Amino acid sequence: MRLRPPRPEDFRSPAHAPAVSARIGLWLGVAFTVCFLTGLLSHAAQHPPGWFTWPTRPVSLYRITQSAHVLSGVAAIPLLLAKLWSVYPRLFIRPPLRPPAAALAHAAERLSILVLLCAAFFELASGLFNAVQSYPWRFFFVETHYAVGWIAAGALVVHIGVKLSTASAGLAERPDPRRRAFLRIAWLSTGAVVLATAGNAVPWLSRVSVLAWRSPGGPQGLPVNRTAAAAGIRVPADWRLAVAWPGGTAHLTLSQLTALRQHTATLPIACVEGWSASASWTGVRVTDLLAAVGAPTDRAVRVSSLERSGLYATSLLPSAHATDPLTLLALRVNGQTLSPDHGYPCRIIAPSRPGVLQTKWVTRLEVLV
Amino acid sequence: MKAVRAGLVLSGAALVGYGGWLLWPQLPAAWTWLLAGPILHDVVVAPAVGIAGLALGRLIPDPARRAWVAAGLAISAVLILVGVPLLWRPQPAPINPGLHDRDYVRGLIVAVLAIWAGIFVSKVSRRLRHAGRPPGSTAPPTAPEA
Repeated sequence: MRLRPPRPEDFRSPAHAPAVSARIGLWLGVAFTVCFLTGLLSHAAQHPPGWFTWPTRPVSLYRITQSAHVLSGVAAIPLLLAKLWSVYPRLFIRPPLRPPAAALAHAAERLSILVLLCAAFFELASGLFNAVQSYPWRFFFVETHYAVGWIAAGALVVHIGVKLSTASAGLAERPDPRRRAFLRIAWLSTGAVVLATAGNAVPWLSRVSVLAWRSPGGPQGLPVNRTAAAAGIRVPADWRLAVAWPGGTAHLTLSQLTALRQHTATLPIACVEGWSASASWTGVRVTDLLAAVGAPTDRAVRVSSLERSGLYATSLLPSAHATDPLTLLALRVNGQTLSPDHGYPCRIIAPSRPGVLQTKWVTRLEVLV
Repeated sequence: MKAVRAGLVLSGAALVGYGGWLLWPQLPAAWTWLLAGPILHDVVVAPAVGIAGLALGRLIPDPARRAWVAAGLAISAVLILVGVPLLWRPQPAPINPGLHDRDYVRGLIVAVLAIWAGIFVSKVSRRLRHAGRPPGSTAPPTAPEA
């Protein structure tokens, strides 16, 4: 027996057919589109361009968009593998050498698919590692994941343009039972991984989702993303909350904060990693607090933490969030005083915001001009 | 049709160009991660799937039974693959209460056992439902083969 490189006709699995590739491709396209659009939204929520205001309602908006981002990415993993197995024989097509136009077109299509696959695998792999808070790389995740997202989206649009007629012919064709069996395996695998991770966001699936990074536990009913010890927090004995505005500064003790009118709101912590958890928060409305010291209540507010270093030691409450009646400087969660890991003495909790911007261990609020 | 396709190709190329421009400063650190996916897939994953398909074809001649086994293998493999970052976690953030503190090995074992139990039950119930009919009266699904 002589070994030689395989040819497309050597592959005899029923998976290798346009009727299969087109169907899986369609759903993979849906998953990538959801993932790309929700990714853009998340980026805009965390790094808002000047013209953009992230809405404060519904309160679970970021929870919904970011769960959709992570789950569509997880769903795309089995779909991408099934799609690639379906078209794998095409890797072994011998490229045409003439006429030169055909050779060039073939090379350009291969290059576009290589770009698409580099970008697609990169987004799924880096996204999954980042979601489980593992960072085995030297590039900056946010910048790179965002840039490659545009490359993946563009290369997918090119691919759809190139394959439009092949794909519509494939969709028009009814797959035979053997091909339908392959498709069923692809859908089942996709359902299985979604179910195994959906508990990150859906509380009643938490016990079923064996691969969820958020577990049902956590102190005071909530997971902890960064402990007080990791952030190097030591609350000084003479801790005061500083409130500054153009024209004045005030300092409030914890008992003065407790003496202000308390409100309770049920709001989710929704993290960029795709996990979320709802809790009942009690504290002072930010607008009430600002009004009590005589600061303006209609502006954006910069929130600073006792945490000295790190990307999220400060956050900016846009005016839409700062003026929202549900935005609290929370002192209690689920009926108990905030534990050190949840932000004692006080933390910001606002509706519809990425979790990293819900600053803990707050020491200063600054009303901006 | 031709104009639509040309429009898609050109606008897609423009988006790729924009992404490439954003990516440029990170490229020296990211290129290995970018190339690893297609290479690992084409050289390791896809050949492994092909060899598994060929082996299944030899080991399980009955196409209906083969399809069930292929489904179990595919679902188990995909679950384990998605579980790799959770089990491995190189250069991780610390494990905190409520995050990454499950027993993932036990969870995966339970999930894989549940999948195979489900497949066994489905196969047996299907056979019981079709018992009494003459063989070949139903079109059995078939497994992928290389």
